[in-house]
Amino acid sequence: MHMASWFLPAVVVLLTWGIVGLFQKLSTNYLSAESALIWLVVGYFLLLPWLYPSKSVFEYSTRNLLLTMLSAGLNTLGAWALLAAMKSGGKASIIVPLTALYPVVVVLLGPLVLKETITRLQGVGVLCALVAVCLLSS
Amino acid sequence: MSVKGTLKTKWFWYSVLCIISWGGWTIFGKLASNEIPASTMQFLFPFGCLPVVVPLIVSRHFRLERNAKGISYGIGNGVLAGIGSFALFAAYRTGGNTAVITTVTALYPLITVVLALLLLRERLTLLQVLGLAFAVAAFAIFSL
Repeated sequence: MHMASWFLPAVVVLLTWGIVGLFQKLSTNYLSAESALIWLVVGYFLLLPWLYPSKSVFEYSTRNLLLTMLSAGLNTLGAWALLAAMKSGGKASIIVPLTALYPVVVVLLGPLVLKETITRLQGVGVLCALVAVCLLSS
Repeated sequence: MSVKGTLKTKWFWYSVLCIISWGGWTIFGKLASNEIPASTMQFLFPFGCLPVVVPLIVSRHFRLERNAKGISYGIGNGVLAGIGSFALFAAYRTGGNTAVITTVTALYPLITVVLALLLLRERLTLLQVLGLAFAVAAFAIFSL
């Protein structure tokens, strides 16, 4: 069977983030959600020795370095907004599945920003996955 | 609550901000991964988190709870989330379709639900069982 080259890394994402989902539940039994987010970023920093780049980061284009930083900032801003939504009186049973719909942004903007299109079959797969994410997060 | 009522709530707009932010995170990550290797991107990642995390620490007057278990889980979260984020950038760098990769990786609640079932002895709701079926269908389609 042919396996797309992105599939194995995607499985690593699923497994690690799946465990994160469980740990998040456990960590917020002992910490406030904000503290849990702060310690999560501390965990990111602990990985730095293993990720130390073999060549200077300044050899890459400024545009892509900025995009990387912006990507990280938006990831954390999203996590903060999720916390803020919960604190503002929203029900977790609505907010969690709602925010799990973030791939929709990529599906909608992909053709415009990334010049990528999806086949009809992939579209059906994306739809199934989005429904699954919403139901699983409920 | 009516749609009009929901549109007036703070939580709805925070949720929209979350969706847009995470959409931007993946799109910008994909664009940068065309040039920068996944390991270097993940090396830079925590520094990009600082503009959000530092004000959060300051707003708490540098006070964090000191529960050892909570801190261990929190740091463990960061390590695992970092490995996952590195793998996401690696997946983007293969040149696969970004929408498909982003949607497949967003299925991680599948693993959380299964782990909660096995380790925390939680029970699946009917909706979650239905969700599992849709996830299996999605994986079957993407493996065609």
